Amino acid sequence: MTAALVLLGYAAVAAWCGPVLLAPLTSGGTSVRPGLTAWLSAMASALLSAALGMAFMIGVAVADWPALTQVLCREVAGKMCTPQVYQSALYPAGVAIAAAAVVLAALVALWRYGRRTQRAVARTRLHARTALLAGRALPGTGAVVLNDPRPAAYCVAGRPAAIVVTSGALAVLDEPQLGAVLAHERAHLAGRHHLLATVTRGLSAAFPRLPLFAEGTEQVSRLAELAADDAAARAAGRWALVTALLAIATGRAVPGTAVPATTFPGTALAAAAFAVPARVERLLRPPGRGTVAVSGLALGLVSGVLILLPVLLAMVARG
Amino acid sequence: MRGFGELEAVVMDRVWDHDGPVTVRDLFDKLREARPIAYTTVMSTMDNLHRKGWLARERDGKAYRYTAVASREEYSARLMREALAEAGDAEAVLSHFVASMDGDQAEALRAVLGKFPGGRPS
Repeated sequence: MTAALVLLGYAAVAAWCGPVLLAPLTSGGTSVRPGLTAWLSAMASALLSAALGMAFMIGVAVADWPALTQVLCREVAGKMCTPQVYQSALYPAGVAIAAAAVVLAALVALWRYGRRTQRAVARTRLHARTALLAGRALPGTGAVVLNDPRPAAYCVAGRPAAIVVTSGALAVLDEPQLGAVLAHERAHLAGRHHLLATVTRGLSAAFPRLPLFAEGTEQVSRLAELAADDAAARAAGRWALVTALLAIATGRAVPGTAVPATTFPGTALAAAAFAVPARVERLLRPPGRGTVAVSGLALGLVSGVLILLPVLLAMVARG
Repeated sequence: MRGFGELEAVVMDRVWDHDGPVTVRDLFDKLREARPIAYTTVMSTMDNLHRKGWLARERDGKAYRYTAVASREEYSARLMREALAEAGDAEAVLSHFVASMDGDQAEALRAVLGKFPGGRPS
């Protein structure tokens, strides 16, 4: 019983307190991939631990139930309780009820996950197919243009996937900026970020109100954004990317052709809480290699511990 | 990126650009000017588009006359409604380049970018 309780206890702690520990390590976006790995590891760790804990619990119930039924039976029925009584109906009924409860809980979670995921995949594919047919091809880019004055650009997975740019976005972007936008969206598709989004959203639908999954979904999406930014900055240059972000976010063209000094002047952006300024600041003041290496190493260690912990707990607690 | 469904996109482009219903023969004649293509390919593509709900058709003698079920603009509007839905709970998984910003944030960003020697943010 101890093993089951320890595992379920750990799963609960991870699900409620995990975000508090992980968020400070990944919020700066210093090392993006290790950050993604850490969040996914935390979710996997909690799920694995809960599953192991429940399996142990069922095992214990099956093993200990005969003794327990005897006690219960005597408490309730006194001398009426003969071995024939407690060995007959109570034992299988009790085990069956306990197992059914656990299986039902698991099925509810699975059903929620499946429903959310299935709908997301269907809507996503339909959106991609419709965009590819209704949009006009943007020659030489593989992207399609939708006629809409509001500036927007996005990618949507499918068979095949689509990158969509509105005519409103084309109106405010120059060529290098458009290159940055397309590189950003291609990085999302190449990195299969839609899969990460689908799985994490499905998990938050399966386990509503658990902070790890709600916060994890947000963080994974944010880190995927930063990963795509890094790829776009490598392909098209930081300045093109930053000015493209500003142009699309505000709907006004930003002259972006001039290449500025590569270092950022002393002014930091006031409010790092805003998503876009934080993204821009990170691009303009990239962290040093040493910082990236240390952060990556720390997050790698955290991920390893998170994945191993449920297995270790199970082995230790069972003796 | 269009790859697999490219021909379907080309056919829809032509149907939308055409005034009124078109037959497979009409489209085949037009498409043949641009690329080598088989009549049966055009026919099966249009049949697919009909099956998938993009083209409506009615029989006219031996041939079908095809029309688009909705205009290109209607599809665009539908897509943008889904893409720009304010609710974070949109079911389709779309990765936006950047969300639109309110005036204060935009001003803060412009001010910072304006400090660059080479940049001239408007």
